[in-house]
Amino acid sequence: MSAAVPTMRHVRGFDLVRPFSLGMVILLMLPLVLLPLASVFVYGTGRGLRSFWAALTAPEAIFALQLSVVTSFYATIFNVLFGLLAAYVLSRYMFFGRTAIIVTISLPTAIPTAVAGFALLLLWGPYGMLGQWMPERFQFMFTPYAIIIANIFVTFPLAFGVLMSVFETMDPSLEEASATIGATRWQTFWHVTLPSLRGAVVTGALLTFARSIGEFGSTILVSGNLALSTQTAPLYIFSKFNEGQVEAANAVAVVLALFSFAIFSVLFFARDWLEGK
Amino acid sequence: MGVTAREPDNFEHDEAQPSAVAASVVGLSKSFKKTRVLDDVSFDVGEGEALVLLGASGSGKTTILRIIAGLEHPDTGSVRLHGRDVTELPARERGVGVIFQSYALFPRMTVEKNIAYGMRIRGRPRGEVKEEVNRLLALVKLEEHRTKYPSQLSSGQQQRVAIARTLAYKPQVLLFDEPFGALDAQTRIHLRREIRSLLRQVNVPAIFITHDQEEALELGDRIAVLHAGRLEQIGTPDEVYNRPETEYVATFLGAANLLLGVVGEGRVALGTAVLHAEEEVARFREGQSVKIVFRPEDVFLSLAGQLPEGVRRLTNGVIEEKLFVGAYERLTVRLDLVARQPAGDGPPLYDVTINTPESRLGVPVFVTRPKPETDTTRLSVGDRVAVGLRSFRILPNYALSSERAGQVVDTGRK
Repeated sequence: MSAAVPTMRHVRGFDLVRPFSLGMVILLMLPLVLLPLASVFVYGTGRGLRSFWAALTAPEAIFALQLSVVTSFYATIFNVLFGLLAAYVLSRYMFFGRTAIIVTISLPTAIPTAVAGFALLLLWGPYGMLGQWMPERFQFMFTPYAIIIANIFVTFPLAFGVLMSVFETMDPSLEEASATIGATRWQTFWHVTLPSLRGAVVTGALLTFARSIGEFGSTILVSGNLALSTQTAPLYIFSKFNEGQVEAANAVAVVLALFSFAIFSVLFFARDWLEGK
Repeated sequence: MGVTAREPDNFEHDEAQPSAVAASVVGLSKSFKKTRVLDDVSFDVGEGEALVLLGASGSGKTTILRIIAGLEHPDTGSVRLHGRDVTELPARERGVGVIFQSYALFPRMTVEKNIAYGMRIRGRPRGEVKEEVNRLLALVKLEEHRTKYPSQLSSGQQQRVAIARTLAYKPQVLLFDEPFGALDAQTRIHLRREIRSLLRQVNVPAIFITHDQEEALELGDRIAVLHAGRLEQIGTPDEVYNRPETEYVATFLGAANLLLGVVGEGRVALGTAVLHAEEEVARFREGQSVKIVFRPEDVFLSLAGQLPEGVRRLTNGVIEEKLFVGAYERLTVRLDLVARQPAGDGPPLYDVTINTPESRLGVPVFVTRPKPETDTTRLSVGDRVAVGLRSFRILPNYALSSERAGQVVDTGRK
């Protein structure tokens, strides 16, 4: 990534705009992003590491973090596999209604997550359009499965978008070359297409995971928010804060923040590798 | 023009007619939506022969290549490889080697793995694969680059990897899609030589597609000139260059002057000039409208009005423009083909409409003279000279494919 940085050589003398505009940007970023994040860490460790550790190792906290990781993991697996399938089909075949499908798949990005959760509830809930016809033992609203479904609903467009753009910009002659060399479709996909998608798969997975693990709006509606049962980490933070247990909420918040830093760092620093350079 | 400066060894293959047919297409036609891109195209490629499909963009050459490779299906017609009809076979069962314009090397595989790919997917034993890869790496002289990735190689090296990758599965025919399209002139000439000698070593028939006439003349044992989906002419470089059968071929391969004439007894009348051509007009009837086609380098100019043996006198002319272009001198000579304006406002007796901006009387032709000639006889603008032709072609003046396509031929091209 060596994009030419434009210089301001056309400006004569001292460029007053430079310190002023730069200062504005930093001033805005401080209260909006940096200070809130910093306060999480400052507060979390403010009363000593021991109480922080105690708050973090509370059974409810550990369960909530585990549940978040596990549900996000399944949502990620689903998104990558079906994202690959959908992107492959929609980029390789032209058919009537193709654009409509692409728009539909991408729609959830524009839907508020609370609306997404509410919609799922209306459909699959015990009194929902489909839910009311389902036998009791298959009811999955207010279970971890509902959390996974909600995560998929909200994050699928992310994985799909990343994969689709790579499929569409891929040189078609690579696959054609593979075919003329004698490879079957499957061999071509496995040896040629998939390696080119390596970066997109990792990016899509990380984006999905990062988004799922912090998902709140849809989860709180479909999960039931039961401690030690269907309470994910963000729900735990919300509940504990409401109960006035700021320290408990804060401990989990620190972990979630670290998670996202880690994922963001991978996406940022491994960008060249992910883009296949 | 470089075209006439070909090395003599290239002519060796011209006469060698291939004995066995390695690949052939018969009556290929193809339309995309409602546009006809191929119209009844047939040709053969002999064993060990290099055939060049030459045409401008949109002539259908890429489509032919893709049909032979099995990446496109023809509407009608068939593809045969070593006598076997493969029209209905998918690409992977044809055993055709395609060298794509972008080379299409697998970016995540090393040079070795790229070359081994064809054998790997065929499940060849590891030892055999390794041996063959070593042999091919030596053949294309890339031994020290074996563990590099395609992005670390130069264009020429990438191209050799692409060739080695196809040779690994012993293709029935090699197809080159604009192999030097993206390269600069220097590299292009170098790579051409390399590929030619490589092909001679492996003795696999090859089909090149290109829009570059110089490239076609140098690479091909034979050249097939395509225009608007039709095959205009197929023949050795010598044939298509020196004996073009259509106006399009004459003008697409190098520059050509075109003059309208009428066939008379043993001669062609061009306005006020007469060109004696006993043999050449034998296939035309008297009074038939024809076109005389000749190359700028086939024109002989003489200040003294004396033309050497074998040069046929055309007419006189005035040098109107002189340009020095490196090894050549390029002249515009306005021929006296037009009778003096008759008294009064009567129409000129002879009027040629060639696509030049000039509105003056007389017909401009382009002439090139090589250095030895310019050194011995100096000509300058305004000189009156006798104009003779070393060689020329007479083509019927009707139903030309270029006219079919509604195009006007610009004789001043190049």
